[in-house]
Amino acid sequence: MTSKVFVSLRVKTTPERAFAAFVEEIGAWWRPNGLFQTTPRAPGVLAFEPGQGGRLTETLANGKVFEIGRITAWEPPARLEFTWRQANFPLELHTEVEVRFEAVGEETRVSVEHRGFDQVPEGAARHGFPDEALLMRLAEWWQVLLASYRDRSA
Amino acid sequence: MAGFRSALFYQDPKAALKWLEEAFGFELSMLLEDAEGNLAHSQMSFGDDYVMIGQEWSADHKSPKSVGGKNTQTVSIQLDGDIDAHCERARRAGAEIVAEPETQFYGDRTYRCRDPEGHIWTVSQTVKTVSREEAEAASGLKITGWI
Repeated sequence: MTSKVFVSLRVKTTPERAFAAFVEEIGAWWRPNGLFQTTPRAPGVLAFEPGQGGRLTETLANGKVFEIGRITAWEPPARLEFTWRQANFPLELHTEVEVRFEAVGEETRVSVEHRGFDQVPEGAARHGFPDEALLMRLAEWWQVLLASYRDRSA
Repeated sequence: MAGFRSALFYQDPKAALKWLEEAFGFELSMLLEDAEGNLAHSQMSFGDDYVMIGQEWSADHKSPKSVGGKNTQTVSIQLDGDIDAHCERARRAGAEIVAEPETQFYGDRTYRCRDPEGHIWTVSQTVKTVSREEAEAASGLKITGWI
């Protein structure tokens, strides 16, 4: 088994629009967090390449493109899954993010499940945090991200 | 954001998450699980608020199930929908209805129930506007702070 961080909220739109905003507008709603740096450099702009196997990239100010992960499940408008790897992770470590979009009346419940963060070893990516503190910070960051995404998608 | 939050303790918090969704329509808004699948922290949302659902994590943080059903405080759920339907939903999910829905002198219709581990929940829906004078006359109480 693997650790799991789950957060969810409602957005006032359809699953179709919610899915599209998540994928196509991630560059606008993403909020970088110093505890979860993707690269050692200043945060860049995130973008998905839509479709199965598409990349999640971060384009830095100097033009370099860092690959954060790849889309492992592309099921619009219900489900999206992608891998997540920070530059300070060991090479073989990929964590996994699953996003679900579920219609509830006229709203959409958007939930994010980030799995495997407990496997991040001691070192730069962990900041000396024990599992529970690390997972709590990760969950709080996803709450900030989803709130920003909600404001963008509605 | 400043405000109040309640945390409730369960012998089986993961079962509680499922039950609270089925019975009350709460939505899981945060869940942390360790590598063994144990619940480390969780939040369930209803309207703009949430409660935290956790394990019995110390000798002084116990489920009512572990202390003979005793409660030292209860959580109130305020509805803007049909409280009688809400009560039936809770009953179907296995809630023990301690007090059936009844309209109170202050204008709320309320019911009380126990969940599977013995937590008592109070559920209310405002069904009519009652003035302070009317409430004082109905109850015999001197009321301060009536809006």
